[in-house]
Amino acid sequence: MIHPPNRRQVLALAAAALLPPVAARAATPRVAAIDWGMLETLLALGIEPVAATELIQFRKIAVEPRVPQSVTDLGLRGAPNYELLRIVAPDVIVISNFYEYQRPMLERIAPVFAQAVYEAGVPPYMLAEAATLALGEKLGRQAEAKRYADETADEIARLRATLPRASGHPVFVISLGDSRHFRAFGRDSMFGDVLTRLGLVNAWTDETSYSAAAPVGLEALARVPEASILIVSPLPADVGRSLPTNALWNALPAVRQNRVAVLEPVNHFGCLPSARRFARLATAALARQAHG
Amino acid sequence: MAERTKSDRAATSAALLPIALWGLLAAVAALLFAWRVGMQWPAPLPGGIGLDRVILLYSTLPRGAVAVLAGAVLGMSGLLLQHVLRNPLAEPSTLGISAGAQLAMTIVSLYAPLLMERSQSLVAFAGGIAAVLLVLALTWRRGLEPVSVVLAGMMVALTASSVSAALILANGEYLFSLFIWGGGSLVQQDWEPTIALTIRLAAGAVAALMLLRPLTILGLDDASARGLGVARHSSRFLIIALAVWMATSVAAEVGVIGFVGLAAPALATLSGARTLRQKLIAAPLIGAVLLWLTDGLVQLAAGSGGERIPTGAGTALLGGPLLLWLLPRLRLLEWPHLGSKGAAPRKASRPWLIILLLFALALVAAIVALVVGRGPDGWSIAGGDLLTDLAAWRAPRISVAAAAGAMLAAAGVVIQRVTGNPLASPELLGVGTGAGAGLTAVLMVSATASPGWQLAGSALGSLAALIAMLALAARAKFGAERLLLAGIAMSALCSAAITATIAMGNAQSYILLRWLSGSTGQATALDAKLALACLLPLTLPLFLAARWLDILPLGSDSARGLGVPVAGGRLMLIIVAALLTALAAMVVGPLSFVGLIAPHLAQLVGFSRARVHLAGAMVLGALLMIVSDWLSRMAAFPYELPAGLFASLLGGPYLVYLLAKGVPRQG
Repeated sequence: MIHPPNRRQVLALAAAALLPPVAARAATPRVAAIDWGMLETLLALGIEPVAATELIQFRKIAVEPRVPQSVTDLGLRGAPNYELLRIVAPDVIVISNFYEYQRPMLERIAPVFAQAVYEAGVPPYMLAEAATLALGEKLGRQAEAKRYADETADEIARLRATLPRASGHPVFVISLGDSRHFRAFGRDSMFGDVLTRLGLVNAWTDETSYSAAAPVGLEALARVPEASILIVSPLPADVGRSLPTNALWNALPAVRQNRVAVLEPVNHFGCLPSARRFARLATAALARQAHG
Repeated sequence: MAERTKSDRAATSAALLPIALWGLLAAVAALLFAWRVGMQWPAPLPGGIGLDRVILLYSTLPRGAVAVLAGAVLGMSGLLLQHVLRNPLAEPSTLGISAGAQLAMTIVSLYAPLLMERSQSLVAFAGGIAAVLLVLALTWRRGLEPVSVVLAGMMVALTASSVSAALILANGEYLFSLFIWGGGSLVQQDWEPTIALTIRLAAGAVAALMLLRPLTILGLDDASARGLGVARHSSRFLIIALAVWMATSVAAEVGVIGFVGLAAPALATLSGARTLRQKLIAAPLIGAVLLWLTDGLVQLAAGSGGERIPTGAGTALLGGPLLLWLLPRLRLLEWPHLGSKGAAPRKASRPWLIILLLFALALVAAIVALVVGRGPDGWSIAGGDLLTDLAAWRAPRISVAAAAGAMLAAAGVVIQRVTGNPLASPELLGVGTGAGAGLTAVLMVSATASPGWQLAGSALGSLAALIAMLALAARAKFGAERLLLAGIAMSALCSAAITATIAMGNAQSYILLRWLSGSTGQATALDAKLALACLLPLTLPLFLAARWLDILPLGSDSARGLGVPVAGGRLMLIIVAALLTALAAMVVGPLSFVGLIAPHLAQLVGFSRARVHLAGAMVLGALLMIVSDWLSRMAAFPYELPAGLFASLLGGPYLVYLLAKGVPRQG
């Protein structure tokens, strides 16, 4: 991608005096990511974005892939620092449909490339795969994108093979809202979709919208007594004290029979890298249960 | 003779009617509960694992018990607060107790999570009592006059919620538990909360019975109470602390349940409870029925995917209209009106020169905000090409902030002068939160609605709130108190809708949280032009009506004597103020404190006549917002904080100081 020199680039040069030196790679556009799912996809394709949002939180609750320290933190996802983004002057900004409302502002800085991964009622894995390929195409990394999509599918298939006895086993994937409520990940969440791909059955069959349902009382977990429960971290502050004394929680068959596991944090609205991470963590937890 | 029998019979049936009505409502609640129990009744399967039984025992039954107990505790707490403060509008949410408790829990969860695990209810109590003490301190000089107490309470509550919202925004997912809590959910999984609330209710009842005599006397005015030898202040604070303890225990166990504490005592009075003893029995009973019924209805409306409305938001949705209905029936005017208090405001000898100087100062601030900023490499002063480029981002924000500040300040001057209440604030007109309710409605239809639709939703929401409020106030001939109270009720109602949506914890929640905390971050050149273009035509009529603004604070009679059309004049001024507030709220969120503070600052400088007061307040409001917006961009760079939050942090302490000194009435 070659641009004629314009005012923006002249300015970028002027601003470069203020910036830490960025290793410029020929033919790779400088990318900024507003959406976390896009950020992890970029990193998975070996593209180091020049800027991305909420990196402090990302490193804590999305964890993978590792974000290099050289990536500029743009602040909150919902209210990114446009001035800073302007100074960083990327060639392209990638967002998801959640951030369409920022498009008019972002387009003043650089062309916006948007991908929809999460849509109400639609399992997101295939959309994420399509978004990965589209991003690869856009940024001249078709081969890497194809390879990553295949690797992800292979890894999930391999993990599925390690769970022969668990096939068809129902599993709740939840995040705890507080010590009395949870949010369930249904069929239109990445976790729900990956469960199905692992040969498991999502025990939460009710309608959800955009990944997680409104908070529900824990007693709803009793609807599928034979299900295992996977809790995605982080856990709210008071849960450590109150869950062990919660009579209903302790009466749940899954709790009595030790079929509950707490997973390390995974990005709730992620793309393929999150799908892989979740598949790995979930398989390991379920395998431990099968042996334990 | 026949006449007398008839009136006797009428009196008897008048006494029986409320009891029959409450009995009926209780029966409906019981029926709903029985239906839940029936649904959960364990099937007599021999090989069953008994999970149905567990759910019945540990979820369905305790939930019913907690609904009844929490309702009763809130009813009692509200009654004690209302009685001691002699204020029919006092209750945990109007006094800022719930919001204070929530803020305390937010801060502790963030910075001392271990403390939160140990003693949630103690943290909640500390926050609640701090909020009440602040409200009482704010209104002490005004003799705890009811309307001022509630206004101060709402300001404290709004500020606490906005700080909580900002903290939650900056810390992501971790704190969503607090928003579930803010929605108020009665979901139960064991009997612990039931036991805790039973102890509270019993302790409250015993204490109230022991304090019956001082309580009765405290219901009288101060002079009589002193004459009867009651240690007024200490017993008053003792009872307030008791009520706060009861209310925050409910808050800690199940979350924020609004309006039960307000409605139960009022309904007890309307149902014919006359003596304090009767009220002490009736209010908890009515509170219990109200909450039990609401919770039954909320569960009835719930799908299998979860409850659509948290119970606490449900009580507010039912209670808001109830409060609006109650307003004309409450006896508010028993309270002696306070005359001019404190020294006459200082008058500046050359006000227009000072305004010019302040205007120059605001311009300097705007230029500094435009030029000085932080970049990846620290502080920098932009110039040349970089400045032209950054100005395209900074200028709209600065203009929007300044215009919003000026609009809120103008609206504040109008509201404070029309109502004659220095604690009145345009944020409390209900149009600001109405904008939020409209935004919520648009987001419900589509989480990815475009900014244009969001703006249209906000505009329609504030318009609807304005019309509803004016219709209500019209019945009271736009009397100052009714107007403020109608605004408060409207605010509470809209806030409930917003809270219920935020408690869902989805993509919409984040947009609403950001709006709630007041952000100028998305301001475009179009917003800036719109705001600046509306500023002049909307404020010009106020300058032309300056004579009304000078005269209205003197009271209706004097105003009429001087030939001011009181009702018509008030109506026109309020409509303009509401439009100004709605516009400002659409671009910078519902709360900034600017509308409250700028008029006071202007008066302190010495702008006393309406025209200079208006101009001075507008310039000061713009200045305050420019500085706040700049600070919000700089403080946590690159993370942008809400500008409204900084405005409250800048203005709040000053307001406390001002109120503690005793504010003179406007005019």
